[in-house]
Amino acid sequence: MTYVIAQSCVDVKDKACVDECPVDCIYEGKRMLYIHPDECVDCGACEPVCPVEAVFYEDDVPEELVHCVEINASFFTELGSPGGAAKIDTSQRDAPVLERVHP
Amino acid sequence: MTQISSTDLGLPGLRSGLDGVPSSGEKQTGKDFTSDQEVRWCPGCGDYAVLKAVQNFLPELGIRRENVVFISGIGCSSRFPYYLDTYGMHSIHGRAPSIATGLATAREDLSVFVVTGDGDALSIGGNHLIHALRRNVNMTVLLFNNRIYGLTKGQYSPTSEVGKVTKSTPVGSLDHPFNPVSLALGAEGAFVARTIDSDRKHLTSVLSAAAAHRGTSFVEIYQNCPIFNDGAFDAIKNPDTKADAIIPLVHGAPITFGKDKVTGKPTKGLIRNMDTGAIEVLDLGPAADQYAKDLLLVHDAHNPDPSTAFAISRLTDSGYLNQTPIGIFRQVERPAYDDQARDQIRTASQAATGAPTDRLSYLINGGDTWTVV
Amino acid sequence: MYSTSEASPRTKQVRQLDRVIIRFAGDSGDGMQLTGDRFTQESAAFGNDLVTLPNFPAEIRAPQGTIPGVSSFQVHFADHDILTAGDSPDVLVAMNPAALKANLSDLAKGAAIIVDTHDFTGRNLTKAGYATSPLDDGSLDEYDLHRVDLTGMTVEAVKEFGLSRKDAARAKNMFALGLLSWMYGRPTENTVEFLSRKFAKVPDIRDANITAFKMGWNFGETTETFIVQYEVKPAAMAPGTYRNITGNLALAYGLVAASVQSGLPIFLGSYPITPASDILHELSKHKGFGITTFQAEDEIAGVGAAIGASFAGQLGVTTTSGPGVALKGEAIGLAVMTELPLLVVNVQRGGPSTGLPTKTEQSDLLQAMFGRNGEAPVPIVAPQSPGDCFNAALEAVRIAVTYRTPVMLLSDGYLANGSEPWQVPDVAELPVIEPNFATGPNSTSTAADGTTTEVFLPYKRDEATLARPWAIPGTAGLEHRIGGLEKGAEHGNISYDPANHDLMVRTRQAKIDRIADSLPPLEVDDPSGAAKVLVLGWGSTYGPIGAGVRRVRKAGYNVAQTHLRHLNPFPKDLGDILARYDKVLVPEMNLGQLSMLLRAKYLVDAIGYNQVRGLPLKAAELAEAISELVRSAEGKCLP
Repeated sequence: MTYVIAQSCVDVKDKACVDECPVDCIYEGKRMLYIHPDECVDCGACEPVCPVEAVFYEDDVPEELVHCVEINASFFTELGSPGGAAKIDTSQRDAPVLERVHP
Repeated sequence: MTQISSTDLGLPGLRSGLDGVPSSGEKQTGKDFTSDQEVRWCPGCGDYAVLKAVQNFLPELGIRRENVVFISGIGCSSRFPYYLDTYGMHSIHGRAPSIATGLATAREDLSVFVVTGDGDALSIGGNHLIHALRRNVNMTVLLFNNRIYGLTKGQYSPTSEVGKVTKSTPVGSLDHPFNPVSLALGAEGAFVARTIDSDRKHLTSVLSAAAAHRGTSFVEIYQNCPIFNDGAFDAIKNPDTKADAIIPLVHGAPITFGKDKVTGKPTKGLIRNMDTGAIEVLDLGPAADQYAKDLLLVHDAHNPDPSTAFAISRLTDSGYLNQTPIGIFRQVERPAYDDQARDQIRTASQAATGAPTDRLSYLINGGDTWTVV
Repeated sequence: MYSTSEASPRTKQVRQLDRVIIRFAGDSGDGMQLTGDRFTQESAAFGNDLVTLPNFPAEIRAPQGTIPGVSSFQVHFADHDILTAGDSPDVLVAMNPAALKANLSDLAKGAAIIVDTHDFTGRNLTKAGYATSPLDDGSLDEYDLHRVDLTGMTVEAVKEFGLSRKDAARAKNMFALGLLSWMYGRPTENTVEFLSRKFAKVPDIRDANITAFKMGWNFGETTETFIVQYEVKPAAMAPGTYRNITGNLALAYGLVAASVQSGLPIFLGSYPITPASDILHELSKHKGFGITTFQAEDEIAGVGAAIGASFAGQLGVTTTSGPGVALKGEAIGLAVMTELPLLVVNVQRGGPSTGLPTKTEQSDLLQAMFGRNGEAPVPIVAPQSPGDCFNAALEAVRIAVTYRTPVMLLSDGYLANGSEPWQVPDVAELPVIEPNFATGPNSTSTAADGTTTEVFLPYKRDEATLARPWAIPGTAGLEHRIGGLEKGAEHGNISYDPANHDLMVRTRQAKIDRIADSLPPLEVDDPSGAAKVLVLGWGSTYGPIGAGVRRVRKAGYNVAQTHLRHLNPFPKDLGDILARYDKVLVPEMNLGQLSMLLRAKYLVDAIGYNQVRGLPLKAAELAEAISELVRSAEGKCLP
């Protein structure tokens, strides 16, 4: 299981969640933030601080947003597991689906 | 029947902590070790990170989950066993090492873990911890140190810094804290290590070495409590300060830390003061010469003499944590209590001949008997 | 030399006695326990029935020559079956003034006193608090006083072995033993053999002791001081093999037997404590039976390790005394909650706090019943005599294993160190104890789509016993977590549900209550069937109560007696039995703990007979109390 960030984060990127994450597993993309599904430890610190309620526990993602689970994961297909967002600058990329929609 | 699994320690002829534990034979994943119970720690608690790391590391041991037992005491971290689909016992405050001692001595085929906290292990259960280390019973002790009492809602702990203002110390605590690594080394610990909740890679590598070590492996895990002691470990977690705060210990390598902003090379190292024998920090500077580099202390975790490991452990701040060594301080071989206890029984049992009932009859009919007809 | 009484000079007389009580008393370094033990072994080998009562200070070597330093050993031997170590010695052997002073008040007028005159020096008399020597001031005129220079004669007898004077004098206890052995016609071969074995590595000491022993015998035979030799014929006992045994040894053997009969290796986690340590010492010798003995860092670790071993599938045992039980309370509660087999042996001693470590008492009954937080019922089993500790241990283990529960076995200091002839049981007739480990799923779970899977419910109960399954680590598919938090019924996961807690508390109590279904009916000894008074006891008071009841019956009164082995739960027929009698007398070595339980449970007016003197109850005094109650129950006037 993991937490995921849904599309209401797009173009918001408040980053309050990044400060809360104890394991630094929330990565910044060009238009939204992404939670690394393997690096997340399910602690839930990110969920209540999001101003736009974009963070969901995987089981609790509303049906209309289920595709966001895949969106979060797909961001890391090429990146793999860097082991911490601070180690790498990812702010100029996005999940493939976002790049396709808004080239 | 079952294959014996063993992990190479890199030292020839030594027994692994997993010797005698049947191997799984098939590939397992973290899911196999995850129970169906909902995890109930506070959001952001460092315990989550450790749990995740443990769930992912257990399958790598290559042993069956029914042969894994987690024993905990009381405290936030002691809920740990409920979240692992192994055998487990959430016992009573401070006593987990004693329960694990009985378990590990009774059964060679189990891999035994103790999950405890700074209050559980160092305050109410201090006696059991030091005696487990002294005996060297084959088990791995994970001490979650958040330097505060969480479950009782925020009183200072035996690792809290002096002057800590808490609910029970409104004008500051008076107790001088324990340094858990120094304590473990002083208690004859044969495997003593420290790691950090948020560094999964390091945590996993230390846990693997600890599980493979035969005897009591002691692992202090710095663990952040976001509710009652948030930020206690910021210096070692903040990307801007951690290079200067963490002194990484790698067996066989010179001990250096700090990071030059330009070259990326270490700026500090540990040396022995030849006058006092103490271990001190030497500023290498950007232009450290070869002479300075030759003086650097090379970490030897296998040194039979624990003095240097102890001296290194003293570099940890007892107040707010701005500097601390991380890694395996000491890893030496010493006979394990449980192995020797079982050997004594095996030897005596092999010498005893005849059915147990016959031997019982012989025993109770021993001494000066007389017969009435 | 010392084979038959015919060899004695013609001047000696032989007098028949049916029973004799001898007390050996001296400094705690004088070897009185060994002397008494040897005399006991000789008497056992001779075929007398016997009961012993050791009594020693807590200090290993209290100040020499003082009253607190006095150690004694009483042996009561008879040609018939006896129940106690006797109230009042017929013979006192006093090795110094302190030993005389400490024990004189227990003697009836006319009793024989043998003193070692050598030690009645001015200094020793002062230490004992004598202003003048009792040997000279006429204060012992009403006793049959024998002055013997035991030390002097011993030193003289062993001088050929070249020992220091101190070492030579130490053999005086064997001289005394030899003398008493002659007086009572005890067989001596075993003692000579024992000494040869004990001192095999130090030939000088061995030879000195054997010589002193033989010279003591010869002295009796030749001296004019002792003109009467006594004879106590062997007692008629049921056919079988016997040995003399102390309670602690019998208890340790009972545990070995329980291990053999259950197939469960014993794991003893223990911290040394008087008077329980002997059990740890004994079991540590029997590793060949697969027994692990773990000397823990403290009392709590002892029980903790035992619980860990029980979780692992061994038989966890912890041995201690009252102060240790106080420390173990929380862990015993954990065993109640986790429903794991565990045996807690409490060899009770005088309390509270450190109390009287070497003296006996029964004052931990309520601690055993209630000494834990929450509703934490623990079954209680109590042995009634030293030899009975064997069977009581087996019974306690049967309950622990069958019902998956901690069990308290309440022995006491008197049983622990006291001894009696014990008919060695036939191993083939011992009960078999079945661990019945869980081996697979015990239930099925139905998913929403109707598919079923087999599951393991760690708190699903046996219908008859209400015991939960004992699934040990290493059993694939039965992985589960237990602990001190309240469990949900059946599934065993943490539950804070109010109704579930109520159910679980009641279920744990009901499980303990169910044990009563497995207990045999109480045996009530009421020969006339006309008794109006029942004397009810538990534990080591069995002997004194039995002896007291015999005296009362001999005097022509009717009285019934019954004795409890199970204190929790009580046998099912106890209530009916109590209701049958007009009066119930409960003698105890406490201030009325069983009385309180009986009153609470059965609403009977249990009358206490209570003493806490650190010593067994005295049969004669108890008989007085019983007689008085019988007289009042039968409406007879006091004489």
